[in-house]
Order: sequence, then C-alpha cells, then structure tokens
Amino acid sequence: MKVTIRKWQTVSSWHWDVSEECCGICRMQFDACCVDCKMPGDDCPPVWGACKHAFHMHCILKWLNSNQQQCPMCRSNWEFVTTD
Amino acid sequence: MFYCVQKMNIFSSNISNNGNNFQVNSSSGAAGGIGTIKKTPNSNNIQPQVKKLVIKNLKDTSKASENYQVESWSHLSNAIDSIYKKQPIKQTLEELYRMVDNLCSTEKYATTLTYVVSKHTKSIWDIGLHYFKTFLLSSTNLDKKLRIGILINIEKERNGETIDKDLLHHLIQMLLSLQIYESFEKELLSETSMFYYKESNHLINEYETPEYLKHVNNRIAEENTRSLRYIDPSTKRAIIQVVEKQMLEQHLDRLLQKGFNQMVEMDKIEDLELLYSLFTRVNGLSKLKSAWGQYIKTAGASMLADTEKDSSMIEDLIIFKDRMDHILNISFSKNDQLNYSFKESFEHFINTRQNKPAELIAKFIDSKLRSGSKGISDDELEMVLNKALALFRFIQGKDVFEAFYKTDLSKRLLMDKSMSIDVEKSVVLKLRNECGTVFTAKLEGMFNDIELSNEIMASFKECMAYTEHIKNIEMNVFVLASSNWPQYTPLNANLPTQFLEYQEMYRKFYSSKYPNRKLIWQNSLGQCVLKCFFQNGKKDTISSLLQTVVLLLFNNLNQDEEITLGKIQELSGIELEELKRHMMPLINSNTRILSRRSKNKSKILEIDDLFSFNKDFTHKLTRLKVNALQAKETVEENKKTNEAIIHDRQYQIDAAIVRIMKARKTLTHNLLMSELFQQLRFTPKPVDLKKRIESLIEREYLGRDQNNPMSYHYLA
Ligand SMILES: [Zn+2]
Ligand SMILES: [Zn+2]
Ligand SMILES: [Zn+2]
Repeated sequence: MKVTIRKWQTVSSWHWDVSEECCGICRMQFDACCVDCKMPGDDCPPVWGACKHAFHMHCILKWLNSNQQQCPMCRSNWEFVTTD
Repeated sequence: MFYCVQKMNIFSSNISNNGNNFQVNSSSGAAGGIGTIKKTPNSNNIQPQVKKLVIKNLKDTSKASENYQVESWSHLSNAIDSIYKKQPIKQTLEELYRMVDNLCSTEKYATTLTYVVSKHTKSIWDIGLHYFKTFLLSSTNLDKKLRIGILINIEKERNGETIDKDLLHHLIQMLLSLQIYESFEKELLSETSMFYYKESNHLINEYETPEYLKHVNNRIAEENTRSLRYIDPSTKRAIIQVVEKQMLEQHLDRLLQKGFNQMVEMDKIEDLELLYSLFTRVNGLSKLKSAWGQYIKTAGASMLADTEKDSSMIEDLIIFKDRMDHILNISFSKNDQLNYSFKESFEHFINTRQNKPAELIAKFIDSKLRSGSKGISDDELEMVLNKALALFRFIQGKDVFEAFYKTDLSKRLLMDKSMSIDVEKSVVLKLRNECGTVFTAKLEGMFNDIELSNEIMASFKECMAYTEHIKNIEMNVFVLASSNWPQYTPLNANLPTQFLEYQEMYRKFYSSKYPNRKLIWQNSLGQCVLKCFFQNGKKDTISSLLQTVVLLLFNNLNQDEEITLGKIQELSGIELEELKRHMMPLINSNTRILSRRSKNKSKILEIDDLFSFNKDFTHKLTRLKVNALQAKETVEENKKTNEAIIHDRQYQIDAAIVRIMKARKTLTHNLLMSELFQQLRFTPKPVDLKKRIESLIEREYLGRDQNNPMSYHYLA
C-alpha cells in the first residue's frame, strides 16, 4: 500500500428537483428564492400544479390571491400537487 | 439762567475736546463774560471764598417789554463781538449778565443766544487748524511735496529701508486733523497698487509658488502692522485688499499652474495650508478646487493605467488616498467643497478602468483574510480593511467586487483558508452597512450554508450508516445553496468506489431531511488528507480530490511500475488539461511524490510521459501541502467570474425591465431607460439595455406600440 486516505472533505450543491430553471412568475431561479425572500431553502420552496408547471410557493399564492385561478403558464385550472 | 449755563457747558466741552491744552473756566465765564478762556494753572490758585447761601422763593421774573428785549439783544450782540475782537465793552459785565439772565427767562432768546455764541466760537484749536490749512494749501506745492514725501517714505520702508515712523505718524495725523487725508488716502492706495503690481509681476516669474506665497503672506502682515503703526487704521482694509488683488487675484491661475501639482506631489502640507488660506481670501477656492480635482484625477488615472503594477495597485491607492486625506484635513481644513471635489475625482479616476479596480480590491481583502497572511495585529488588520473598503466606496461596479469577493470567500471557507470566521463576518457587516442588505444577502447565505452543513454533518455522523460503514476515514461534506455561491462546473472523475458509496449514503441521509432536492457533487472543490508511505517514512499529504484519484491508481501497481499520462487519464476519467494541472505539483522538485520520465525536457506534460511512485521521496516536514492550486485563481476562473458578472447583469436588466413594465404597463423608450438607470446598481451601457429590450420583445414579454415604435407595452 503506497497511499491511504485519512480524511475526505467534499462539496456538493443542492438544487430543487424542478425541470425549469426559473419561476415563470418572478423570473428568479428556483435555486434562488422568490423576490420577497432572502435565503433559498425550505422557507421558499417550489410547488407543482396538476399541469406540471412549478412556481415559487410564494409567487403562486400571490397569483391565486389576486383572483386568478388558472396556471399563469398554461391557463388550465390550478391544482396543487404534492410530490412523493 | 439755568438754561443758559447748561448751554454753555456744552460749549465748554467742545473746546476741551478739540485741544487739551485749554479749558474753560466756567465759574468766571458765567460771571465775567461768556467764553472767557484762561490758562488753567492760574485758576487753580484762587482761594475759595466763604459765602453765605440764602435761599429765596423763586420769583416770577416780570416779562420784559418787547423793547427791552430788542435793546438787550443788540447790546449783548455787540458786546460779544467786542469780546472776540478784544475791544472795550460799553456795559459792565454785571449789566450784561443781567441781560442774559433776563433774556434767558424767555424761551425764544435762549435758543438764539446760544446760536450767536456758537457762531462766533470756533475753538482756538479749530481756528489754528483753519489758518494752518489755508497756509499749507496756498503755499506753492508745499502740500504736494508733503504728500509725495510721505509716499516716498512708505515706499522706502516697503523696500526694506528704515524710516522715521513717528514722523510719518505725526504727518498723517496732521492730514487727518486738517481733513485732507481722504485725497491722500486715494494717492496712497494707487501708489500701493502700482508698487505691488510691479512687484508681483516681477516675483511671479522669479519665485517658485511656495516662496511667492510666503512673500505675499509677509507683505500682508507688513501692511497690517504699517496701517496700525502710522497710517490710519481706517485704511488698513483697503490697503490689504489692494495687496491681495495685485499679488494674488491677478495670478491665481499662474500660481496653481506653476506649483500646485509639485506641492501636492511632495506633500508640502504647510505650503498648501498657506495657499489655501491665501486663496480663500480672494475667492480663489473654485480655482483651487478644480486644480485639486484635476490633480487627483490625473495622478490616480496614471496609477491605474500602469497595468504592470496591478499587483500593488490597491496598496498604492490606499497610500495615495491617505496622503490626499491628510492634505484635505490639515492643509485645507476639511473644506466641504474641496472634500466634495476629492470624492468626485476619486470616483472618476477609479472607474476609468472598468471592473479591474473592483476585482483588485476584492483580491486585496482576500490576501488580508487568508490564513498564513503576514502577521499583523487585529487593530492593524481592522484599519487596513477599512481603508480598502473606503476605496470600494468609490467603485461604481459594486457587483464586480461582489462577484470576485464571493469567489475568494468561497475558497477561504471551503478550503479552510480563512484566518478567522469572526473577522470574515465583520467584513461582511461592514459591506452591509455600506451597500445594504441586498448586497450582502448572498455572502451571508454562504456563512449560513457552512453552519448548516456542519449541523447536518454532525447528525449524519450519529446515524447508523456512518458509524457502521464509514470507518478509518473522516468524512466532511459541505452542502451549498448554489445561488449563494459562484457557479461551479462539475468535473468528471472516476472516484474510488469507497467514495461513491459514501456519497450515496450521504445523499440518502440528506434526502430524508430535504425532499425535492438533488445534490450535485463538486469534485473540483474536494480535498483529502492522505498518508503516503515512503521508504524513509510516511507523510501526511493534503491533496486535491483529483490528485487523490491519481495517487490511488499507484496502489494497484507494483513497486517502481510506470504508467503513462494517457493511461492515468483513461483510468481517472479526468479531463486532460485539468489532470495536467493537478499533476504538476506532484512532480514538483519540492514535493516529488511521483517520478516522471519524459522523452523531451519540456516542462509541459506529454501524453506518453511515464510516471511512477517515488518511494525514495524525503522531506523534512511530515505534513505536505500539494493542493495550493485549488486556492489559487486560474485564468479560466477569472474569465468565468467576469462572464458570470456579465450574465448576472443581463439577468438583472431583464428583471428590472419586466418589473418596471409590469407596474407601468406602457412606457416610452426614454422613460424606461431613465427608470432603468435609477434602479440598476451598476451603470449599464444604453446599447446593452437596448439589446435586452429587444430580447424581451422577442420573448414576448413586451410589445412595441403599433403607432409609436419608441413606446412599449407590457404583455401579461
Ligand atoms: Zn417566483
Ligand atoms: Zn419566497
Ligand atoms: Zn400550467
């Protein structure tokens, strides 16, 4: 044996498992957060609709609260889908 | 009677004001004739007589007849004339006194009487002056000679000769008393003006600026003393104004042009202080301001233009700013206008080289925050950081700084290169105070990620998977929120199966805590502590993950067995250029863990170069670092950071356009541009903005107005 490993320090980056890069409402990356939040993470997650479109949770809630009940991308009726 | 005496007192005080040599003996004056003047010494010798004072009721004096009044008046008038002409008086003084007494009881005559008295009674002093003046002015040229004489003497003194100052003082006092000073003053001022006109035009060529200014200052002081010593103080202001005008005001440009830059260059604090104080006397501040601003701009721009000195640029700029601060504070008394011009000029020149100064400030701070940087005390470190940030304040492209700062910070954090996390955080706090929370949100996010990673790692180490499977190796994982960190490109490498297993265990653990997230491993940032066994002993080696992958290949080879670079590349799966970069330190003369055999002597590694494990390696240290390259910035990395800045700017422009148009629905091109200039935290080029607008029109976020192509609509 010429070489053995004592310690391994490694780096990985986490990403939301979303097919699009950006939220269609605020245009920010999912890996960043919505315009109202500061830190990316579980406080500002993406959510999926039945139409498979994803948005920041905060963005779609704002959208739905303004009386629009359709997906802003495809205009189909919005329904939340839980993953897993 | 009372009235009359009162009037006379007024008269007497007039006399004593004009000349102290005379005094009215009012007691005898009242009795023995109005305005009799006696020499003072005698009057004091009169022995006081004992008198009986009888008080009677005040009688209402009978109103004298009109006729009596006229008559008395005429008598008195004649008598006064006679007294002044020193002729005998017809009436006795007693009679005259009665007349006055009676007349004074009627209001009308009291006033007239006073008038008559005062008409006649110019004081001896005044009369003397009157005759002296008449004589002086009538005799040919005498007063002219006198005035010229005075002026010549003043000029002599200005030329450094000694003169009789008392004499001049008396003569000028005489002119004042004779009330012919005013015309003399005019001549004096015009002579002064001529004198200093000539002198300044001569000296401005002969003297250097500091010498000249000192001379002017002396001249002003001299004229000040002169005015107080023998010229009338009322003329002081006017004379000094003449000096200022001729010696300074006429030459402001010349003085600055001749010597200002050299004075600043050589830190002539006192000379500059004098210059400032003299310039403020003559409204020269705006000229000084522009020379000052121009100097800073030119000197600064030339420091920046010298690309060979980039490595010391920030240090040089800090020294430069310290010097200019010192001049501003000491020589220019922190003058607001000059301070403004200082800041404006600094901001101007530091932005003459796009992006580079911002990058270098970030690197400078990096060099101070790295562990193993030169040992300086906390206070010194604090001071130097503040100074670097003071330069940062002038930078327009703050996002450039942020991008490079972020890249450097990430290395310090991920490669354990930071001197102290507390100091790191204090710098971020300073940046936040300077630029706001939006600016530092990502930097703060980085610290967050590190702390969170440590927490996750601690709980991972407690779970079964770790305690049962990961043995003999200490594993540590940083999980980053990618948007906080610089963009890393994942590097391919065939990791040892052991590593792959550990990664998978960690991934499972992580997913259990954070569903909906995926992990991307950043091999370029991994590092290992290895134990290498040589014939003369073992060494702890800190190496990059990629170096580790390469070194582990030799475990499968026999002693001294050689392997080509091509084969190493094939087995490790690392991209060739990246591989070469990581292998160089392993064959470096100081840390030659691998031996290289090559057909050519070139330093550049070739695909058929042969490598073997250098079992004979020796080194006096037991702990070696071969991964320094990971902490250094490569050319590609620098390029990448710059590209990231451009990309990020485009992104920010897009976001801003959409934000503005969403709020306004319709805007003309110019209005949109001006809003963008206000909102963006860098100074964009109009061409770039136009391109982004075009791109958003293509992507159907915006549409042009059908009638007015220079107006846009927001398309929901
Ligand atoms: Zn969003
Ligand atoms: Zn949010
Ligand atoms: Zn949809």
